Amino acid sequence: MDLELSDEEAELRDNVRTVLAGICPPATVRSVFDGGDPPAALWGHLVELGWPALAIAEEHGGLGLGFVELALVAEELGRAVAPAPLLATTTQFAPAVRELGGAEIAARVLPGVAEGTTTGTLALAEGGRWSPDAVRTTARRIGDRWVLEGEKAAVLDGATADELVVIAGDGDALGAFLVAGADVKSVPRPGFDPTLPLADLRLDAVVVPVDRVLAEPGPGVEQALARAVQESTVAVAAMVAGACRAIFETTVEYATVREQYGRPIGSFQALKHRLVDMYLALERATALVYYAALAIAEDAPDRATAAAAAKAAAGDCQRLVAEDGLQLHGGIGFTWEHDLHFLLKRAKAGDALFGGAVAQRAALVGHLGVMA
Amino acid sequence: MKLGYDDHVEAFRAEFRAWLADHAPSQEAMAADPARSSAHRPDWAKAWARRMFDDGWLVPGWEPGRGGRDAGPIETLVYLEELARAGVPRTTNPQGLGIVAPSLFDFGTPEQIRDYAMPVLRGERTACLGMSEPGAGSDLASLSTRAVVDGDDFVINGQKVWTSGANDADFCFLFCRTDPSAPKHKGISVVLVDMDTPGITVRPLAEIIHPDRAELAEVFFADVVVPRSNLVGRLNDGWAMANGSLAHERGMVWLMSVLELEEDVQELVAEASGQLARLGPIEQAVFADRIAGSYVDALAARALGYRGFAKLVRGGSAPEQALMKAFCSESHQRACLLGAELGADEGTDLGAPGHDPKTTCSWAERYFLSFASTISAGSSEIQRNIIAEKVLGLPRG
Repeated sequence: MDLELSDEEAELRDNVRTVLAGICPPATVRSVFDGGDPPAALWGHLVELGWPALAIAEEHGGLGLGFVELALVAEELGRAVAPAPLLATTTQFAPAVRELGGAEIAARVLPGVAEGTTTGTLALAEGGRWSPDAVRTTARRIGDRWVLEGEKAAVLDGATADELVVIAGDGDALGAFLVAGADVKSVPRPGFDPTLPLADLRLDAVVVPVDRVLAEPGPGVEQALARAVQESTVAVAAMVAGACRAIFETTVEYATVREQYGRPIGSFQALKHRLVDMYLALERATALVYYAALAIAEDAPDRATAAAAAKAAAGDCQRLVAEDGLQLHGGIGFTWEHDLHFLLKRAKAGDALFGGAVAQRAALVGHLGVMA
Repeated sequence: MKLGYDDHVEAFRAEFRAWLADHAPSQEAMAADPARSSAHRPDWAKAWARRMFDDGWLVPGWEPGRGGRDAGPIETLVYLEELARAGVPRTTNPQGLGIVAPSLFDFGTPEQIRDYAMPVLRGERTACLGMSEPGAGSDLASLSTRAVVDGDDFVINGQKVWTSGANDADFCFLFCRTDPSAPKHKGISVVLVDMDTPGITVRPLAEIIHPDRAELAEVFFADVVVPRSNLVGRLNDGWAMANGSLAHERGMVWLMSVLELEEDVQELVAEASGQLARLGPIEQAVFADRIAGSYVDALAARALGYRGFAKLVRGGSAPEQALMKAFCSESHQRACLLGAELGADEGTDLGAPGHDPKTTCSWAERYFLSFASTISAGSSEIQRNIIAEKVLGLPRG
């Protein structure tokens, strides 16, 4: 098992990092925190760069790269606190269409993602849980159409995405449906991280024609959904790890230059040990994120446990790194003017998405059969 | 990144696996005569070392004359994986094979290599490492055991402590002070001392779990005379070997730590459903959460270790490697504590009636023993100091 980036992977990561530092500087992030809209120019840049096409199959106009590359991009999106629909579109919407839909619908929908003309997201969660058994939204067949009824919670880009994959059940099994964003009532959530905009959705008798049914309710849907959700989950874990790495680097730098009692505060052993614990939590999470990304890319048999472990570790990581990162910055980190809070909020918001550390460990308990 | 290995590595694995099937000592033979310390050689262990040496499977990365076959680092990793899978120890004298012999190859004379290093490889002699002293633990460079030059000899006086396997070892790789007037790091030398030399007293130090279990010992030196030709490397240049020794140790040990953690976590997971069944729902949930946490730790230890290893193989630096000792030992400690607490009343037992802590350990015993790894070979706190300064570049206090 080789868990170090190849030269090509490292080059992609470095390139993404450099580009994002240029087109998404802290001032851009700050404009969103100060109440501005997500910058359209940033999304335009990302489309020009072809990033939405990265992991779309070549037959659908994409570059045909794999999930490892996508996870590396997600990590950098976290580091830059990028306010753009790239994460939801490429790691939630596209995998859901690919895993749940047939070849025909994928061929109709995914080229738009690759071109950057379609943004999308996955409307799965209800009641704060991203689990299939939390789904109460119903799908009823009426003639050759399906009618969806229910509420979805905390959908990333839920108020702005062009297209949604909505998960709904017929009472026996789950199905997946393609719904235009304009066809649902969305209520944006006033979240603490406006760069990761969530919305609650109300589906009032939304009619889905047969050619927009990704998967009729049936026994195979849950497994396909699980595969898609594993990608979404690990991508969010990567994003959290990326934000945490930036917090960590900034904190080490601060501890090296900030002086009190005539010496850098990073020379005090009490702080050294805390910084090493942050580093350990960060490397623990990063190694597991890379392992899970690889397990998904190579379709390993343990991809479900690897994904849950990666998100759990990312959750543990943000908890420690955000807390100690803020504490070690002292008063300056407590201010709106300092950029640190963008990262802290991105890390914490990411922990909640697709289930935090406790939810992931609960999933692992199920996978391991511990409660049998 | 990729999960699998190249074909030639898998061919190497298959070759070793087939060899192991033919030559590894049986579990019955090992269980009938277990090694009582890290320098004890039961008969099966002598034969096993010799067989591995002769067939070039003892240290595959070394040259054929030294028990190897010039294998690369990835092959060595696969080799260690296969040994673990077979449940066979590579050696019953890990400090001899992993630290003393390589240090002698780096710093020793041809005679020292012939008389000390090679017999260790062939399973004919075992070594202990004389490092810690009552006044020199984490601050090893403060050691005060004296070796005074007297004609063609050294005369040694002083005391070592926490010396693993001293009771059974044939010789000691002894760090001692040869220039008390020099700054503390610059007056240290290494001398090879045969343990049957007059003036040496070994007093076993029973471990925390049982008065009969004594892997560690105190070693007293009273006017012990050894020939000056037993000096390893240059006089007063021993500190370089202290650093080198630990590098040898950490280079090999991370995978063993990962495997030990994985094995105990697998056992914890396997036992869990039975233990949880007798508990109420809140206790079940709390314990289940912790069990999953240990599972994440074990998976992370493997991912972290393999990631660091891949960086080293590419010739880069691998800060992950510096994290492995503290992370694995602390994760293992958490897992053992969890096992003991999950066992409730049984968890407080040091073992069922008839239980022999020299061969198998209960969770409570494993928990107490786990402190050996968080304390020895650079405590978790020392590890953090080193990482803070060497990896993170934080200023010295």
